[in-house]
Amino acid sequence: MKTRREILQGLIVSIGGSSLLTACDGFAKIAPTVDGELRFYSSEEIELVTKISDLIIPRTDTPGASDVNVSGFLDGLMAEWANAETRENHHRDIKRIGGQLGDSFRELDEQDAKNKLANLDTRAYAADRPDEYSAYRSLKGLITQAYFASEEGRLLEQQWVAVPGRWNPRVEI
Amino acid sequence: MTDFDAIVVGSGMSGGWSAKELCERGLKVLVLERGPEIKPDRDYVDQLPPWEEKNLDRIAQEEIDKHYFKQYPGVAYAVKESNKHFWVKDDDHPYETVEGTDYDWLRGYHTAGRSIMWSRQSYRMGPQDFTANKDEGVAVDWPVRYDEIKPWYDYVEEFAGVAGNLDGLEQLPDGVYQPGFELTDAEKLFKTKVESSFPGRNVIQARVAHLTNPTDEQRELGRTNCQARNRCHFGCAFKAYFSSLHATLPAAERTGNMTLVHNAIVQSLEYDPEQNRLTGVRIVDAETNEHRFYSSRLVFLNASPIASAMILLQSKSETFPNGLANTSDQVGRNLMDHISGAGANGLIHGFENQKIFGRRPGGIYIPRYANITEKDKPYSRGFGYQGGASPLGNAGGQIPGIGREFKEAHKSPGPWRISIGAFGEQLPNPNNRVTLHPNKTDKWNNPIALFNVSYGENEHIMLQEANKDAAAMLEAAGCTNINSNTVNLTVPGNRIHEMGSARMGNDPDTSVLNRWCQAHDVPNLFVTDGSFMTSAACQNPSISYMAFTARACDHAMKLMQENII
Ligand SMILES: Cc1cc2nc3c(=O)[nH]c(=O)nc-3n(C[C@H](O)[C@H](O)[C@H](O)COP(=O)(O)OP(=O)(O)OC[C@H]3O[C@@H](n4cnc5c(N)ncnc54)[C@H](O)[C@@H]3O)c2cc1C
Ligand code: SF4
Repeated sequence: MKTRREILQGLIVSIGGSSLLTACDGFAKIAPTVDGELRFYSSEEIELVTKISDLIIPRTDTPGASDVNVSGFLDGLMAEWANAETRENHHRDIKRIGGQLGDSFRELDEQDAKNKLANLDTRAYAADRPDEYSAYRSLKGLITQAYFASEEGRLLEQQWVAVPGRWNPRVEI
Repeated sequence: MTDFDAIVVGSGMSGGWSAKELCERGLKVLVLERGPEIKPDRDYVDQLPPWEEKNLDRIAQEEIDKHYFKQYPGVAYAVKESNKHFWVKDDDHPYETVEGTDYDWLRGYHTAGRSIMWSRQSYRMGPQDFTANKDEGVAVDWPVRYDEIKPWYDYVEEFAGVAGNLDGLEQLPDGVYQPGFELTDAEKLFKTKVESSFPGRNVIQARVAHLTNPTDEQRELGRTNCQARNRCHFGCAFKAYFSSLHATLPAAERTGNMTLVHNAIVQSLEYDPEQNRLTGVRIVDAETNEHRFYSSRLVFLNASPIASAMILLQSKSETFPNGLANTSDQVGRNLMDHISGAGANGLIHGFENQKIFGRRPGGIYIPRYANITEKDKPYSRGFGYQGGASPLGNAGGQIPGIGREFKEAHKSPGPWRISIGAFGEQLPNPNNRVTLHPNKTDKWNNPIALFNVSYGENEHIMLQEANKDAAAMLEAAGCTNINSNTVNLTVPGNRIHEMGSARMGNDPDTSVLNRWCQAHDVPNLFVTDGSFMTSAACQNPSISYMAFTARACDHAMKLMQENII
């Protein structure tokens, strides 16, 4: 697998630009929160969010949610971006999701935890999008956005190209 | 002797053109810009990759409440953490509205004004737009017809660079275009279905001020092809979209005739009653609070319609106790915008085996048909729709499922969605106005703006109908999951097409400017931002401001050569 730097350099070469080099130097991590220094979540909360995020976006042939530090990123997002009301709501959301998954969720092995979360997901995405699962839908949205905003998620998963250079309205799959 | 031949107030979309045209005709031009300098190398953030954006590029919520409480809710799609320096801080630049009304004054104060942040949709006004007031007995007649402005549209499009298709529609005249951005197959299907189900309606490519085949002149100015990145609200290292900073100001600069002064807040224009001429401009320095005066033979007001009206209203004298060039009492009145809040979206089928490459800057446009090809409407004037069809993608996480499958689903384009949204014409109404606040001032001691703008019945009815029409067109194209929610009429000003505050007309008793954007009352004053608009049409207006500005500069120069001004 190519390193991130190689992939990025490939992009730079493909558009023949030198001015982009500066923009690509020094990779920022999608991690406003330094390991171990939680600014928003309690240790129980981050444990739950990490577990959920890895079940939603697991490691495959590309990195998973934890590999790109999604839960650490959300910790920073809540600390830096959110106001008091949003923070409070987010704490409440996590509590609610914890309740819906049950106390035992933390201890479940991967397969059982996956089944349990899949079950919750099915209920949350029922056609009428029940209100009682809005907390879960909102967390899932944040996890997914954070993952795909990461370098790995954007480049490896979404094959995001910084400078397409042209518009093609029709690419057959 | 004056300090300068001409002073241009404001360096934005229209001020850049004034600067270029006057400098290229050999005048020594001073451009006064109230905001700080934008330097692309330092201030553009278009090359920031998503993973380097702070907090998903969201401005902290407390910061929004404190500094961007109007700008952010008004234009959330373009006001981000990384480019917030392109937008004014609302607490530094307050304004008020009359009780029971609301107004969005969305803007940036810096080099090139909003030409840095605009969405670049560029449509000419059509012949019907210049005769509508007269035909319907509304407001006053335009003193200009399409044929007169046509060559100036040609001229500004050629220089600015607009990508689009030649569609041969009378109401939306073709221009000088570089190759457009091809429609997706889903859009082509939509076009076929709409045009066959509703003869007289058309679906065309958006016309956008982007370079797709730059001219030699554009290359000389360091501009190059659009790279289809859709990062335009953050600046553009390729200078591929038109802005004053990419095109007109550099063209003015290279003549050696331009002096551009930043942080110069124009407060008033100085009038000499003996000569019936302006003698110059008074400013306060935004950083030092120092007051200065610059003299010139000619003044072009390009501060944008609200600011320009306020400068005129602030320039009181014995001759003009109600504000400069305001014997008609029309300065600040007839404030218009476009209206939105109606439209539809839905899934369009048959393209599941396709995706797109690149992020083009515009999609489709449905030119106005109401009261043009379809005359059975319960309202006057009309609207166009902007929109597009593209794969919905699965980002945002709002699809069912978890695990590998959920993750993999993000590689697929997902279903295709089409959406269209109306931009309608607001009728001129003298009671819709901006005035100087009677007792509140900003931190430079300038009166703040007081808005009193509301919509009339025509606007409400029009948007209801636009909503129905949108859903009907999506149905005709076989779309499913159609959302066409109840109309949610945008707040006045929200479309950021404010205009009309110093309208042009034939009669000095009822209009501020003549057909050349020249003040009826004061011959060496020209106002060529959207203030001059006698009616709003429904097309995005900036290309019209450019054309009228270039034409006005040409006329002013002739008057100067003949020593009339
Ligand atoms: C997000 C967004 C999307 C848009 N999309 C489109 C679009 O697709 N198509 C379209 O046609 N239009 C669009 N517009 C509108 C377009 O930007 C405006 O029509 C255009 O910029 C107006 O030009 P202007 O010269 O009147 O004002 P501006 O470009 O705003 O320039 C005015 C300048 O004057 C300066 N100024 C103000 N007051 C003073 C003073 N007292 N002294 C000195 N200087 C002063 C300001 O700082 C500014 O630089 C959009 C705008 C925005 C913000
Ligand atoms: S899409 Fe085109 S115009 Fe917009 S920022 Fe990218 S290169 Fe510039």
